[in-house]
Amino acid sequence: MFKLFEREVIAVDELSLNQTGIDVRELSVEFDGKRVLNEINIRIPKHKITALIGQSGCGKTTLLSSFNRMNELNRRHKTTGEVWIDERNIYNKRENLAALRSRVGMVFQRPNPFPMSIYENVCFGLKIKGETSRRVLDDAVENALDQAALWEEVRDRLFDSALTLSGGQQQRLMIARALALSPEILLLDEPTSALDPLTTLHIEELISQLKKTCTIVIVTHNMQQAARVSDYAAFLHQGDLIEFADSDVLFTLPAKQQTEDYITGRYG
Amino acid sequence: MKRPFQLNTHISAKYNQELEALKHSVLTMGGLLEQQMVNTLIAIEEKLPNLAERVSLNDAKIDGMEQQVEQECMRIIATRNPAASDLRLVMTVAKAANDLERIGDDIVRINRLVQSKGMPDSDFLLAGLLDIGNRIVSMMRGTLDAFARQDEKAAIIAHKQDSDIDRVYKKLLEQTAEEIKSNPEEIYMWMDVLWTVRSFERIGDRCKNICEYVFFLNSGTNRKKISMKKNLKRLLKNG
Repeated sequence: MFKLFEREVIAVDELSLNQTGIDVRELSVEFDGKRVLNEINIRIPKHKITALIGQSGCGKTTLLSSFNRMNELNRRHKTTGEVWIDERNIYNKRENLAALRSRVGMVFQRPNPFPMSIYENVCFGLKIKGETSRRVLDDAVENALDQAALWEEVRDRLFDSALTLSGGQQQRLMIARALALSPEILLLDEPTSALDPLTTLHIEELISQLKKTCTIVIVTHNMQQAARVSDYAAFLHQGDLIEFADSDVLFTLPAKQQTEDYITGRYG
Repeated sequence: MKRPFQLNTHISAKYNQELEALKHSVLTMGGLLEQQMVNTLIAIEEKLPNLAERVSLNDAKIDGMEQQVEQECMRIIATRNPAASDLRLVMTVAKAANDLERIGDDIVRINRLVQSKGMPDSDFLLAGLLDIGNRIVSMMRGTLDAFARQDEKAAIIAHKQDSDIDRVYKKLLEQTAEEIKSNPEEIYMWMDVLWTVRSFERIGDRCKNICEYVFFLNSGTNRKKISMKKNLKRLLKNG
């Protein structure tokens, strides 16, 4: 039963290091000399869902991508500051990017399955990591698909092309692909923006189940979705972190006028 | 944080209009109730059972308005998903409409005494009822004014009027008890009077609730947590 009077939420400024999944310190990102993120300091709580909200171009996706150094795929970028995951600054020169990206999984706005079978899609990462045992791969695929709430739907056609799946199924397949590598952190960049409302609810339900095993950061333009699924929410505006608080507070009693204007639809 | 409440700044002009209309509905209901209260006092003073009956019949209009306000609040929550100050406005309007509807019911109860023709012919009672009634009208006016302007100072002033009403209420109770003691055979008649006096006092309490909503609307803080005295001190300090 949902306990109305016994809910405890840790305030963001009371988070200890143990409770922090990602610790961002003074992070700035520039693309082509244009500053996209401006000295961001934020502690993303462990095993919680954190939503990043803000207008288009405010730096949400850039912040999300900096958690697994995806920004570096753009050569004209410059990053300063630190991002600490598991007591390690991932912006050190010796960081193994492939290992980092398997620990910090990412799912994008549009499902992008490889033109292979469902099975191959899910175990793609494991195979790249060098896993060859059929039994291990089978188990991992079943586990990941099960966690992504897709197993029952595809168990009889694992070797069909992933492209034959519907949009919602493909998106869950993408989540399964990320989960197969047992990531500590899952980054979701508008994972439901291309899906119908019911499939969206399935994915949201899946996300709330996944927080038991992962720290989840989700970028969304859908304010109600952010309010529904997230435990904490951060509002960004033009590269600055304006407010970071637990979602109940941020969506009912925001501390900053800018946040209030954004969530009530007053930004022009 | 002090939040200047702005209704007219949403990107959607239609949403602005909807919230504006919602807030206006409370004021319309309040205005009608104020008129009902004034008519009630006339009916009491001039002993006009017909007028009292008309006031009672008018209550159906207020009940209908409350239902409409409630439906509109539900529609806005479902279609607009209001957040923060907008959500507070919708919730406040729903609660205020409920309080106003109850005020309407109390007014009907008061009018029953006039309609029943069983009102004791007593000078102290007439003077007492008119006194408490006039204070109620003034408090209602102050409350609606504070709500319309979302003015915390005005809300405190209106809120404080309730203690005067309580004082008059207690005095009336004591006098009624004396009457019952001296004329025990008229106890049923005087018990009707007691209910009537109680209804006046309840209207004061409902107005007090609406004054507290003004604070909730402006600051979002739980109105019960903050005492009005503390608020007054804070406001005086800030000028």
